[in-house]
Amino acid sequence: MADKKKTGLLASIGDSQIWKSIFRTGVPVTRRQRMMGVLNSVFLHLHPVRLPKHAVKLKYTWCMGGLSFFLFLVLTISGILLMFYYRPTVEYAYTDIMDLSEQVPLGIMREIHRWGAHAMVIAVWLHMFRVFMTGSYKPPREFNWAVGVIMLFLTLLLSFTGYLLPWDQLAIWAITVGANMARATPFLGHEGPGASLLAIGDINLVSMTSDIRFALLGGRFVGEGALLRFYVLHCVGLPFIIAILMAVHFWRVRKDGGISTPV
Amino acid sequence: MKRRKFITWLSVGWLAFAGATGGFFTMIIRFLFPNVLFEPPQSFKVGFPSDFQLNQVDERFKQSQAVWLVRTAEGMYALSTVCTHLGCTPNWLITDNKFKCPCHGSGFRKSGINFEGPAPRPLERYRIVLAEDGQVLVDKSVKFQYEKGQWDSPEAFLTT
Amino acid sequence: MLDGIKAFLDILSKPQISFTLIIFIFPFVIPPTMWFEKWHRKLGLHLLWTRKGGLYMFAFITIILLLGFFDENFGKILGKPDNVPIIILIYSVFFFLWLSMSSAYKNDERMARGEKVEEDYGPDEKVLVWPDLVYIEMIALILMTVFLLVWSIGLPAPLEEAANPSLSPNPAKAPWYFLGLQEMLVYFDPWLAGVIFPTLIIVGLMALPYVDDNPKASGYYSFANRRASIFIFLFGFLTLWVFLIVVGTFFRGPNWNFFGPFEEWSVAKVVPLTNVNLSEYVWVKMLRIGLPSHPLVREVVGIVIVVLYFGLPPVILARGKLRGLVERLGATRYALVIFLALSMMALPIKMYLRWTINLKYIIAIPESFFNI
Ligand code: HEM
Ligand code: FES
Repeated sequence: MADKKKTGLLASIGDSQIWKSIFRTGVPVTRRQRMMGVLNSVFLHLHPVRLPKHAVKLKYTWCMGGLSFFLFLVLTISGILLMFYYRPTVEYAYTDIMDLSEQVPLGIMREIHRWGAHAMVIAVWLHMFRVFMTGSYKPPREFNWAVGVIMLFLTLLLSFTGYLLPWDQLAIWAITVGANMARATPFLGHEGPGASLLAIGDINLVSMTSDIRFALLGGRFVGEGALLRFYVLHCVGLPFIIAILMAVHFWRVRKDGGISTPV
Repeated sequence: MKRRKFITWLSVGWLAFAGATGGFFTMIIRFLFPNVLFEPPQSFKVGFPSDFQLNQVDERFKQSQAVWLVRTAEGMYALSTVCTHLGCTPNWLITDNKFKCPCHGSGFRKSGINFEGPAPRPLERYRIVLAEDGQVLVDKSVKFQYEKGQWDSPEAFLTT
Repeated sequence: MLDGIKAFLDILSKPQISFTLIIFIFPFVIPPTMWFEKWHRKLGLHLLWTRKGGLYMFAFITIILLLGFFDENFGKILGKPDNVPIIILIYSVFFFLWLSMSSAYKNDERMARGEKVEEDYGPDEKVLVWPDLVYIEMIALILMTVFLLVWSIGLPAPLEEAANPSLSPNPAKAPWYFLGLQEMLVYFDPWLAGVIFPTLIIVGLMALPYVDDNPKASGYYSFANRRASIFIFLFGFLTLWVFLIVVGTFFRGPNWNFFGPFEEWSVAKVVPLTNVNLSEYVWVKMLRIGLPSHPLVREVVGIVIVVLYFGLPPVILARGKLRGLVERLGATRYALVIFLALSMMALPIKMYLRWTINLKYIIAIPESFFNI
């Protein structure tokens, strides 16, 4: 039935030179066109052309990996928009955030970004949960599981660095407490076990201004330096790394034989 | 080229490569630590000893400098307001005669000694001396830790 | 009547009681061995994963939350905008737990009858990505977008007062997904709770596919084939992570004191937190000779205990119960597994030591920040 040649608006668009130059195939009606459509698109060919039947079932994947990725995209877009109005300095940060909801029409961009971030953390956990429950981490997918764990960690870090940016009470105290844990890192933090062993004569190599916490905060306490460093990590550094890992992750899903199938 | 010589050159090459890579990463790490810090000055005058009431915890410099000043019959000391657990700012509860940290519940006596909650050690004290004009000078760049026995050093306590 | 229930729930949710209950009930719900499996069936707990069981669980959570919403004290905490994700988390974790377990049980029954699992359509049964998958994806994206928009319009993102470095809010909480860690901070020093344990969690998760050598049950839901690994994973995920987050969010109030859900968060609540080091128990209370001055001598008992804790069980178990595991995994991987397992168990152990004998540190060397 689908193979019957239709003539109509849709079909003539599909036959036009512009459409064909972009999508190569016409409107995907025939089996062949549908397969070629997926194969020829740089985005769609993340997917294979054909899948085992259970792999498209919601009941199997919960679509949680896909939703994690979608939420990441939502966060990227809303985050870029927020950057137009937000200045990462102690002087402006708080008031800029306050102004966001008042001065911009339809000011829910901040809400979308914040609740989207919460949703992404949950989605990534649930995705891991489903991968575990279907035993999909077993060979040959061990490596992709490990990549996933790192992305889970990065998702939490992204959320954590973003937490500081509104520069309100919630923000600085959560980060103060969090960053002070870094101070206790063995050997690398100045209040960590073993740090006092790293000394030349009287000079401590790992001190308040030369330990891992300082590298994170760019200062002795959560202040101007910390705000800027967290901002840069949140907006550029961590998204950059996680985007690369996502590319690896998706590539590996396919190279490891696609969505896991009963063996 | 002789085989021997080739191997020598090869190892020199690899060593140079490793050295350059190592140097590069050292540079990246060093880049995280600026030479100059734009943070408020570390030492300041707080007034004359007689400005402080006996046996009271003075909270006037908590907000601006993050120190408490305590004057006892023997003298004065400057306590850091940073909880030794994870760095929250405890509150001075006059009625209970203790500092109580809101974050995880650590309690410190007026002396700064910890006695309850997760804090692993007492509050830190800062260097406290008399300036030439007779005012009390607090210097936060020098700190004294009880568990290292440093509270006995002369500058940890200002005898008046 | 209602007040009675609330008071009862308040008592029930005390960590000492709720955590103990969970530890005892958990192996009967997710039975790791055949012995537990027998009781699991006898007690009818397998019915949890039927449609009816799911409805009961849903109703149970909803009733408690409703009770909470209309309660003066609990309502304040549940209603906080930043706590909405936790409610979503609770529902979704239970829903997906139910979904995966019921699929697993169905598959187990099929396999017991000698049939193929539900996911197995045979190698030739394939569908085209366009349209079968892309449409599902599009619908999922649209639903997610609608959900986010409704959430965002309905609930403004909170903004507290401007940052003030000299005034810590009471209680000061980490973001909710780190509250499990913050809960550990009550029992362990920051270098353990904030650095070592998170590192071990990451390392342990990454190591999972390399130490779980059971090749069965990949690509479909199943329980009977891999009960032990599911038990361990769910124990970590549900009790040491999700449960601690719920405790940290809903039950930790001013001064990080514990409050039952229906209790008022009063700053004035006084809970004695005076804890004692093991070295003090040994030298001062038992031997009555005072603390030795050298830290290593002072802490010798604690050091011996910790070394034995990590050293003895692996050796004993390798000779006894876990001999098969050693043979399959080899010494290195076996050592890793058992080290991770002992570290995971260290958390509940330290919790109980704190609750029973007010133990602060097993080893306390604050001179070099080495406290366990
Ligand atoms: C940062 C967020 C992540 C994104 C965007 C993501 C995305 C995806 C997507 C789209 C798939 C395809 C199948 C599906 O939807 O379930 C997938 C599969 C997979 N993911 Fe992730 N993932 C993320 C995090 C993780 C984590 C945390 C883990 C595990 C610790 C993980 C492990 C895996 C594995 C092993 C597969 C293959 C599953 C199979 O073949 O059945 N991923 N991921
Ligand atoms: S920061 Fe003070 S008790 Fe944790």
